[in-house]
Amino acid sequence: MHIEQLQLKNYRNYAQLDIRFDDKVNVIIGENAQGKTNMMEAIYVLAFTKSHRTSKEKELIMWDKEYAKIEGRITKRTQTFPLEVVVSTKGKKAKLNHLEQRRLSDYIGALNVVMFAPEDLTLVKGAPRIRRRFIDMELGQIQPRYIYHLAQYQKVLKQRNHLLKQMQRRNSTDMTMLQVLTDQLIEHAATLLERRFIFLEMLREWASPIHRGISRELETLEIKYNSTIEVSEEANKEKIETIYLNKFHEMKDKEIDRGTTLIGPHRDDLVFYVNGKDVQTYGSQGQQRTTALSVKLAEIELIYKEVGEYPILLLDDVLSELDDFRQSHLLNTIQGKVQTFVSTTSVDGINHETLRKAEMFHVESGKIDT
Amino acid sequence: MYYPEPISKLIDSFTKLPGIGPKTAVRLAFFVLNMKDDDVLGFANALVNAKRELTHCSICGHITDQDPCSICQDTSRDSSIICVVQDPKDVIAMEKMKEYNGKYHVLHGAISPMDGIGPEDINVPDLLNRLKDEEVEELILATNPNIEGEATAMYISRLVKPSGVRTTRIAHGLPVGGDLEYADEVTLSKALEGRRDL
Repeated sequence: MHIEQLQLKNYRNYAQLDIRFDDKVNVIIGENAQGKTNMMEAIYVLAFTKSHRTSKEKELIMWDKEYAKIEGRITKRTQTFPLEVVVSTKGKKAKLNHLEQRRLSDYIGALNVVMFAPEDLTLVKGAPRIRRRFIDMELGQIQPRYIYHLAQYQKVLKQRNHLLKQMQRRNSTDMTMLQVLTDQLIEHAATLLERRFIFLEMLREWASPIHRGISRELETLEIKYNSTIEVSEEANKEKIETIYLNKFHEMKDKEIDRGTTLIGPHRDDLVFYVNGKDVQTYGSQGQQRTTALSVKLAEIELIYKEVGEYPILLLDDVLSELDDFRQSHLLNTIQGKVQTFVSTTSVDGINHETLRKAEMFHVESGKIDT
Repeated sequence: MYYPEPISKLIDSFTKLPGIGPKTAVRLAFFVLNMKDDDVLGFANALVNAKRELTHCSICGHITDQDPCSICQDTSRDSSIICVVQDPKDVIAMEKMKEYNGKYHVLHGAISPMDGIGPEDINVPDLLNRLKDEEVEELILATNPNIEGEATAMYISRLVKPSGVRTTRIAHGLPVGGDLEYADEVTLSKALEGRRDL
């Protein structure tokens, strides 16, 4: 799939923009603070209706304006259709093929995007929350149903945490209600876990060979899922439910004591091992970067396998951070099959035929020259 | 500022109703000014009486002008079945169906720890007392099919199970007369779960 055309209105520092893209590689060149990342972000928002940089949607709107609008024309196989996201001070609207989609799960998935930005190093280095978000976003992209279960899980979790807090303060001693909410929670937790396991299996299948390639056969990457329960990844939903049930029973007093839910998918984590060592703790900066890159490239293949088409790849300011070998490995991987957006301050020193054939866009204070 | 005080007050009163914004409130207020005196008086009385003469039935909690309500008093109804609903409007919906001949119990809400609503804040204790006093064989749990409604139904069924009263949950699924293709996938999967042999 690819974006043919992008139109922005009042979006960050773009007052008005109408631009057509090449279906292969597009390079966005500009000095710092001219709007390179804003352009990448706009494509990201068009896919997910939210930004990767901020949770404050007002920041997307140009200073002093009422709303920001992003429109894109997407080509998927033989079909082309428009997407539109409007963010206003009152809220946001997402339209797929001119029709407003009220539910997020009906919109997300229309455009598949994989982004690799400097802050993606936090996927390896950062807090567990970032890795959970990664799993949830990627799974949501290929399985919209996952978003529904996640939302239900979070709703029940909120209710359950409130009840536990009341029980902690001795305002309530209602064990039956706790049991009811625990059962509700387990039902969604087991679904989430089962789907995460399947996703992980696929991710490993792609990430390991890619990592071996990037590291010149010197490193092997393993990905482990760290769950709050002891469960085999082959377990089916019923089996997972039984394990959760026993564990919650065991943890009951401790949970009331702490006034919050202590086990479940919202506390799980991913651990990356390179040559048997935990990269987060023992890996070098370079190993961490390679790991993040392998996972992101695996995602591209994974989406291809699940959706039947390659997603759009956004490389925000990362090309210059990779050494020559990794650069050309990356560019070889995407060559000719993935529509890619590369943002950089300069293309000097990057000598690869993929870039020589690319379409160049020069950004200067919210305006673009081709 | 622009309106004399009586009109301002009337506009303010209208905005308290659900679905009425400031503009509609102004329109309604000016409409009232042009109504016949008798109609206005009748309207005002209807408002006051609705509130003054209606109470909640001491047995089932349904809104009524006589206590117990007409449904609870009706001896031709099957008192061995109680249908538990969240809202008086749900009773009306069930009654319109004209198929159900049992009694009701109105909870006036659903359990939601987040909003500080526990079982004792909705009509659950009364329901348990009813089960003790009356000869009830079946409890139909017809709370809403969302997280809170589902939790409430599960909660009541756990409390009641030990007493041997049969508890049932209404089915979820496709609206009758609709098309399969218009159903959302969650409803569809619920409908699939609850399929029956033909």
